[in-house]
Amino acid sequence: MDTSSMTKKELKEYNKQLKREEAMKKIRAQEKTPFLMRLRYKYLTFYYGKQLLWAFFRLVLLVGISYVVLQPYISKIASSFMNVDDFTNVKVLLISMNPTLDTYKAIITENGYFEALFNTTALSVLCGISQTLICTIVGYGFAKFKFKFKKLLFVLVIFTMIVPHETLQLSMHQNFMNFDVWGLWNGIRNLFANIGEMFSFEGGVGAWYEATKEEFIAAGAKSPGFMDIIFSNPEGLAYGGNMLNSFGPIAVLSLTGLAFKNGLFIYLMRQYFNGVPDELEEAAYVDGAGVIKTFVRIILPMSSTMLVTVFMFSFSWQWSDTFYTNMFYSSSAREFVLLPDIVGIPESLETDITLSAYNTAINNTAGLLILIPLVIVYLFAQRTLIEGVERSGITG
Amino acid sequence: MNSEVIKTVPKKATKPKKRKSSGSLDVQKSRMGWLFIAPFLIGFFLVYLPMIFDSIKFSFSEIEMLDGGYVLNNVGFNNYQTALESSEFKSVLIGSITDLIFSVPAIVIFALFMAVLLNQKMRGRAIFRAIFFIPVIVSTGIIESIDAKNTLASIQQNGNLAEEGSISGGSAGGQILSALDVKSLFSGLQIGSGLVDYVVGLLNDVYGIVNKSGVQMLIFLSGLQSISPAIYESCHIDGASSWETFWKITFPMISPMILVNAVYTVIDSFTSETNSVMQHISQTYEQIGPGEEIATAMSWMYFLVIVLLLAVVAGILGAYVFYQRKDV
Repeated sequence: MDTSSMTKKELKEYNKQLKREEAMKKIRAQEKTPFLMRLRYKYLTFYYGKQLLWAFFRLVLLVGISYVVLQPYISKIASSFMNVDDFTNVKVLLISMNPTLDTYKAIITENGYFEALFNTTALSVLCGISQTLICTIVGYGFAKFKFKFKKLLFVLVIFTMIVPHETLQLSMHQNFMNFDVWGLWNGIRNLFANIGEMFSFEGGVGAWYEATKEEFIAAGAKSPGFMDIIFSNPEGLAYGGNMLNSFGPIAVLSLTGLAFKNGLFIYLMRQYFNGVPDELEEAAYVDGAGVIKTFVRIILPMSSTMLVTVFMFSFSWQWSDTFYTNMFYSSSAREFVLLPDIVGIPESLETDITLSAYNTAINNTAGLLILIPLVIVYLFAQRTLIEGVERSGITG
Repeated sequence: MNSEVIKTVPKKATKPKKRKSSGSLDVQKSRMGWLFIAPFLIGFFLVYLPMIFDSIKFSFSEIEMLDGGYVLNNVGFNNYQTALESSEFKSVLIGSITDLIFSVPAIVIFALFMAVLLNQKMRGRAIFRAIFFIPVIVSTGIIESIDAKNTLASIQQNGNLAEEGSISGGSAGGQILSALDVKSLFSGLQIGSGLVDYVVGLLNDVYGIVNKSGVQMLIFLSGLQSISPAIYESCHIDGASSWETFWKITFPMISPMILVNAVYTVIDSFTSETNSVMQHISQTYEQIGPGEEIATAMSWMYFLVIVLLLAVVAGILGAYVFYQRKDV
C-alpha cells in the first residue's frame, strides 16, 4: 500500500493496525511454546508427580495381588502339562521339558468327564434358573409389600443363612431318603402318576423316560409314575419317596429358596428392590396392570443385571459345590456322576506312591477340567455381574 | 396452575370410590405380598422347620439303625456331654473363635481398601476387577476339597507339609516374610512382638484373605457407587485433601456396609467348609458309631456360639454406624 497518498488520519490508523497485528503475532508465538517447555510445565509439577507416584504404587499393588490370586492356577496349569519325568527332574519348575496332554486325555476318557459335565451342567443350570426366579420373587415380596409379621419372617430368612449346613446334614439326608411332607408328597405323586402316559414324549426325552421307566420296573417297582421317575431313583423305591441320586433334593431346596446361600440372594434382591422407586409400579397400576403383570413385564426386564448376578452366583456355587453333592449323590455307586466325582487318578497313568507331586498334579488337572467351563461362563458374564452388584445399592 | 389441578383431582376421584376401596387395595396388596413370599414360607415350614426339629431330636438321642429305617432312643444331654468332654472340640472351637477375632478386621479392612482402589478411574480397571472376583466364582467347594485332599495325601506320604505348600497353592509361593526379619526391623520401635507376629501372619496368609474377601469387596464397591459424586465435588471445592475426604465422607457413608460385611464375614467363615470346627464336625460325622448324633449336638452348640458372636459384633459395630437415611 502506498503510504504517501494517505492522509494523516489514515496513516495513524494504518500504524495502529500494524501494531495490533504484531501484538497478535507475539501472542501466537507465545502460544506456541516449545514442546519440551510445555512438557515441563505440565509434567514437572508437584501435583502431577504425586499423581504419577500414586498411580505407579497402585499398579504395583494391583499386579502383585493379582499374582497372588492367579498364582495357584498358574502353577496348576503349568503342572498339568508335565510328564512323569518332569516331577523327578530338578531343573523343571514351571515349564515342562517334554509337554504332554496325557493327563487331560486320561481324565477325560477314564473318569467319565463328559457324563459328569452333562449332569453337572443340567443340575447347575436348573439350579441357577430356579433359584434366581424364586429368590427374586421372594425378595420382591419382602421389599414392596406391607403385611403382618414381615420383619419376623425376614428374620427367618436370616436364620436360614446362619445355621451351618452341617447341623442339618443328618436330618436332611434322612428327610430326602424318605421324602414325604405329612403325606402331601405321596398324594401329589399319585395325582401325577399317569401324566407320563397322558403326554406322549418324543425324541430324546421320551427315550430317556422309557429307559428310566424300564430301569424302575427292573428294580421292582410295580407302576412307576411320572413324579417317581423325575424325582427319585430305582434303588430307593423300597423306601417310598427316596430322592437321593436324582434331581429331587436340589430341586426341592431350590424351589423353596433354601438351597446353598439362598438367604444371601433373597437379601440382595430385597435390597435392590428397596432402591427401586415405588412410583414405577404405581404408574403401572394406574395404567391398569395387575401386580403380577407389573412384576413380569416391568420389574423383571428392568432388573436383568441383578438377575444375571444372582444366576452367576447360584450357578457357579452349585457347579463347584461338594457338600450337597456328597450328601445327595453317592460317588461310590456312580449312578449320578457329577463333576466332583471325576477327581481321582486314572488307571492308565503310571503313578508311584512316592511321587506325590505327580498325584497332586493329576488331581489338580481334574480340578482345572472342572473349572474350565465355569471360567468361560464367567468371562462372558463378569461385566454384567460386577455391574449388577454395584447397582444393588446394599445399605445396612 | 399445577396446584389447582392437584387440589381438584382427588376430590373428584375420591367421591365415587370412598374409603372402602382404598382399604381393600391394601388388603389386596398384602395378600399379594403373602403370595410372593409363599415359596419361601412353604419351604421353610414344610421342609426346613421339620428338618430343624429332626436335627434337634437327633442331637438328644441315639440312632439305632434297623432294616430300612431307624429308631431313636432318648439319651438326654449325653451327646452334648460327650462333645464337651472331648478336648479336641473345645480347643478347635476356641482356636477358631480367636482366629476369627483376628481375621475379621483384616478381611474387612482389606476389602474396603481394595474396593476403594478398584473404584478409582484408571486404565485396565475392568481387567483387575475381573481378576479379583475370580475367587468368588471359582474358589469354593471343589478346589478347596482338592487342595485339602492333596495336603492330606502329602502328609501321609512324606510327613512333610512345607515341601508341598508351593504346589498345592495353599500358601502362595511359600512364606513371603518371616517374623524375624520384621522384628529386627521394628526392634527399635516400641511395638509389641504380638502385633508384629499378627501382621506377619496376615501377610503370609494374603492368599487366604484375598480369597475370603471377594463378596465383601463387591458389597463395598456397590456402597461406594451409591455415594453421590456431588458430595466429593463440594469437598474438593472447599479444599479438602483426598485423605480428609476419605475419613470425613467415604468412611461414614460406607459404615453401614462395614457392619454388613463384618456380619457376612463371620457367617461366611464360620459356615465355610474349610473352617476347622466344621472340619472337626464332619470328621466326627463320618465316624462309626454314635458319631452322627454327637456331630449334630456339636453343630448346635456351634450355632449358639455363632449367634452369640454375631450379636456381639452387630452390637459393637451398630453403635458406630452412621445412617444417612433412617428409612432402611
